Amino acid sequence: MGLLSQLKQKYKTLSIVGMAKNAGKTTALNYLIEEAMDDGVILGITSTGRDGESTDLVTGTDKPRVFLDAGTIVSVPVKLYDLADAGLEILSMTNYSTALGQIMLCRVAESGYVQIAGPVNTKDHKKMCREMLAYGAEIVLIDGAIDRKSIAAPDTSDAIILSTGAVLSRSMKKVVEETAHIVGLYQLPELEEGSVRDLICSGEEQDKIMLIKGDRREILDLKTGLTAGKYLDEAIGDETDFIYIPGALTTSVISDIHPAKMKQVEFILKDPTKIFIDAMQWQQLRKKGFTVKVLDNITVAALTVNPHAPAGYSFEHEALLKAMRSEIDEIPVIDVKMGGDFSETI
Amino acid sequence: MSSHTTHAATATTAVDLTKVKPYGDTMNDGMMQLSFTLPVPYGEEANEAAKQLAKKMGLDEPNVVYSKDMVGFTYFVLYGKCQHTVDYTTIKVTKVEVDVMDRLECEKYIEENIKRPVVIVGACSGTDAHTVGIDAIMNMKGFHGHFGLERYHGIDAINMGSQVPNETLIAKAIEVNADAILVSQIVTQKDVHIANLTNLVELMEAEGIRDKVILVCGGPRISHELAQELGYDAGFGSHSYAEDVASFVLTEIVKRKLV
Repeated sequence: MGLLSQLKQKYKTLSIVGMAKNAGKTTALNYLIEEAMDDGVILGITSTGRDGESTDLVTGTDKPRVFLDAGTIVSVPVKLYDLADAGLEILSMTNYSTALGQIMLCRVAESGYVQIAGPVNTKDHKKMCREMLAYGAEIVLIDGAIDRKSIAAPDTSDAIILSTGAVLSRSMKKVVEETAHIVGLYQLPELEEGSVRDLICSGEEQDKIMLIKGDRREILDLKTGLTAGKYLDEAIGDETDFIYIPGALTTSVISDIHPAKMKQVEFILKDPTKIFIDAMQWQQLRKKGFTVKVLDNITVAALTVNPHAPAGYSFEHEALLKAMRSEIDEIPVIDVKMGGDFSETI
Repeated sequence: MSSHTTHAATATTAVDLTKVKPYGDTMNDGMMQLSFTLPVPYGEEANEAAKQLAKKMGLDEPNVVYSKDMVGFTYFVLYGKCQHTVDYTTIKVTKVEVDVMDRLECEKYIEENIKRPVVIVGACSGTDAHTVGIDAIMNMKGFHGHFGLERYHGIDAINMGSQVPNETLIAKAIEVNADAILVSQIVTQKDVHIANLTNLVELMEAEGIRDKVILVCGGPRISHELAQELGYDAGFGSHSYAEDVASFVLTEIVKRKLV
């Protein structure tokens, strides 16, 4: 059984998230589309950026085009409709506007190449995926843009496919390290059911920064944690057990918090996409006793690797697969350019 | 000989939009002027190097019309006939589609349709220190006879200046409850503007404000198409003025019911 058929049994929406631009997101998408054709699965396809154009806007390099089978449900903005070589039946005109015009939901009537784009924000994406499922898609694939990771949020999709590859670095060790860091973040432990979780999730205050001391919660009068490190440092008292930050966790949020307080409190975040701290700083924070849990973590359904970088260098297929598999447990690692049988790896 | 003349005559009379070539003195002569510097000493060899380079670029009959000794380097002005053509009829450029209103029309539009001050925060974010773009759009005096957003009644324009970290820009936008964020990227190396613009979108998503704020980027390397790829609502290239940006932002506010 192919990868897609297995994923379909567990998930309704899957985001394809790239570790970097040119990590092979569209190649991974095409791989899944091919499997869907073989297995007769009706796909919904959308993109956070734009897909299917032949030349990359930023680098000027060739991009893989996207060929869709008849029956596929796809989101196409008005201005890209004419460029499709496939026959498209328009199902509905949505209210989502993009730089390329209003988004239309279409059913592919005659298979062919299609240029795809979707809503610019993740909230609209979530809504649109539901519409695509209602039109009969069995599973919706959301292709990411550049290295945008916000679509990995558990709010948006049930699980993700993470695409990584040689483009990250000329050092294979570094590629594996950085990928493992992101996978590690996505799999951060979830906050257990219980009083702390109830305190955070009760009422309408889930988008406010709050401190938890024993069974009391204190909602801070702060609209954002960004650049508010000093304020947070003062707010954290001797008895604070947890600090809940609903927004972005960046160095400007935590750099001014006293090391003793960092050790004392446990950080609670909404989900791992809120973390904007790189692998090295993360390790340093960990050493200082920084601990963090999330309300919802991210299911990484599969990891795809691309041993080629557009800059011209590449790694040996087998070596990259092996190195990645030795660092990443329990997630199937696939070289989408090579294909193969995955029943063993899942 | 006579057939050659006839051929030339037909070639010079009409523009063929499917095969457009540079225009020098006559139609389709392909004549171009280039100026560049080579890191070689001034002299005959330098001129020859410049000509050979031009030939490799597809320019016939290259002719160095000026060269100057730059001490170890040589500066050239060169003419040549371009052999390439482009098909103008197949060119499609995605542009921001909005009926542009002038300043007074924008002010009236706010009064009639939005009925409250519109808050716009702008900055030249990341490493970029060149405020010329954001200043042209936001500053009171504007640019090229087009007043900036600060001059508009009903628009509260906050220009944060240059090298503003994305986090500071977003914190400000949240603090003042901004309707729109304008971010300018003028001079950036190695596509760092892409990384910076993406980081801004991702932080806004994390802060949960992306769908509440109209996000616009601008600069000489920005196109409306790139904006879509990066997750922005619009992208403005060179030769955009305050009224172009204002018209887009105001109509989007109404269209998206963010009034």
